[in-house]
Amino acid sequence: MSAVAEFEDVGKVYPTGLLGRGGRLAVEHVSLRINQGEVFALLGPNRAGKTTLVKILLSLCRPTAGRSLRFGRPVGERQTLARVGYVHENPAFPRYLSATALLEFYGALALLTESNARSRTAQLLEVVGLADRGHEPIARFSKGMVQRLALAQALLNDPELLVLDEPSEGLDLAGRRLVRDVIAERRKRGFTVLLVSHVLGEVEQVCDRLGVLVGGHLVKSGAVAELARDPKTGARCPLEQALERLYAQPGERGACA
Amino acid sequence: MSSPEVIYVWRWLIRDTFRQAMANYVFWVMLAASAVVIVFCLSVSIQRGGPLRPADDIALFEAPKKDPQRALDARPRGSLTLAFGAWPIPLGRDGVAAVRDLLLLLAEWVVGAGGTLLALIWTAGFLPEFLQPASATVLLSKPTPRWVLLMGKYLGVLTFAGFQVTVFIVGTWLALGLRTGFWVNSYLWGIPLLLLQFAAVYSFSVLLAVLTRSTLVCVFGSVIFWFLCWGLNYGRHCMLALQSSMPPLGSGLRGMVEACYWIMPKPVDLGMILQNALQAEDVFRSFEELQTIQRIGEFHPVLSMLTSFAFAVVMIVVAARQLGSTDY
Repeated sequence: MSAVAEFEDVGKVYPTGLLGRGGRLAVEHVSLRINQGEVFALLGPNRAGKTTLVKILLSLCRPTAGRSLRFGRPVGERQTLARVGYVHENPAFPRYLSATALLEFYGALALLTESNARSRTAQLLEVVGLADRGHEPIARFSKGMVQRLALAQALLNDPELLVLDEPSEGLDLAGRRLVRDVIAERRKRGFTVLLVSHVLGEVEQVCDRLGVLVGGHLVKSGAVAELARDPKTGARCPLEQALERLYAQPGERGACA
Repeated sequence: MSSPEVIYVWRWLIRDTFRQAMANYVFWVMLAASAVVIVFCLSVSIQRGGPLRPADDIALFEAPKKDPQRALDARPRGSLTLAFGAWPIPLGRDGVAAVRDLLLLLAEWVVGAGGTLLALIWTAGFLPEFLQPASATVLLSKPTPRWVLLMGKYLGVLTFAGFQVTVFIVGTWLALGLRTGFWVNSYLWGIPLLLLQFAAVYSFSVLLAVLTRSTLVCVFGSVIFWFLCWGLNYGRHCMLALQSSMPPLGSGLRGMVEACYWIMPKPVDLGMILQNALQAEDVFRSFEELQTIQRIGEFHPVLSMLTSFAFAVVMIVVAARQLGSTDY
């Protein structure tokens, strides 16, 4: 099975202080492989480095160590971004645009032809339930509607890799079901999804494998079912319990990576 | 990314900038201001605006004719009326000179100073807004390179400014031409010259936007920078024009002023080029130092334009490199 995303011993230190002389460690020695056709969850407490890893994958920031590949090519090569869709954890869009204008504009930036962008826009507004609000300015949208719009823009190019950074934030029940349906549809078509989420029910329901980051280190990666099992007795335990154990035991770092 | 793809993306970014300008009302406010000035120009007329002296009285190498009656004829005879005839102003010379003066006033002060200031203040927020992390992360995760996005937005603002300048210059030129019958075509040079001035100063605002993503810094930074350019440009000309009547400056200071002059945009020079194109220098007297600088051959219009343009290019390249290496 080919890898859609690969991280080999990746590290990232953000410069801090005057002239960037200081540094804040975000991730260190992370090695991870996300295969084609799987739904992979990236879990961890706040400031664990999940978003940094996502940003490295999307060429939004550059790693200070290691090697990162997207579709087998270095992440610095932007062409492969045409095969990626991304939902930001706190999406914000130009408030002066309508949903239709925004999707057509972002379609152009994703290098879709004008007619293709127009037809995908109409189709996706229907999918995310905003077809009747397409010509309203985004300034009038609720947080949930903006989140739906974020999902629509990520799907414009029918991406082979969909990166969802906390996509259910601010969504109602119907919105969360929409996210799950989209993920299921991507998997059915053999596409890959990388999900960053704190909603463990959602993770258990839709993900095949997961990776757990704590303090910038990958402390565990494997099948969801494998993690939700007591390491001593082998009995099934809630995912939340397993994660709490991992978050509290930095000693496990590296051993399970 | 191929060239047609770059142009395609730029077209969308230009369209986006116009939408942004319309949503901020800056587009409509500037258009309304232009409309007011065009209506003002439509209210102008020239009464008896023929040549000041009879044609046969202009003799460069002869003694002036002493006929007292002819001397009376030589007094200003016509008037320029504003507000549809409500406010007559006696002509200093003839009609065409009055129109040239008015055009220079409009180009240099109304649009060159007032318009540029408004455009700098209003458009300074466009890029910081565009580059805010929450919205930019999604944009920057698209396959379009960052320099294409930045350049597209810069071109968008220039297209917006160019559109407004064109409406103003062409509108006032048509209005005054129709009302007075004097068509001063060189006034149209105001479009590229004013746009060049704006492009150079706005490029500095682009760099500030990339470095700080702060609208406030961009507004104040670009306006202060514009004044600084004006001051340096005028100061350098004063230094050269007055060098014979003042104690000599140190070579270090002089070299520094010269270096700054050649590196920075030159708003004063661009104004002088427009003034010369309008042939308005005789009647709308500029500063004495600026006339001296032209007389002693220290004013180089083509080099002034090229170096102002080069400044804009360097600023955009530096800003694009900075954006390319910024972590989001």
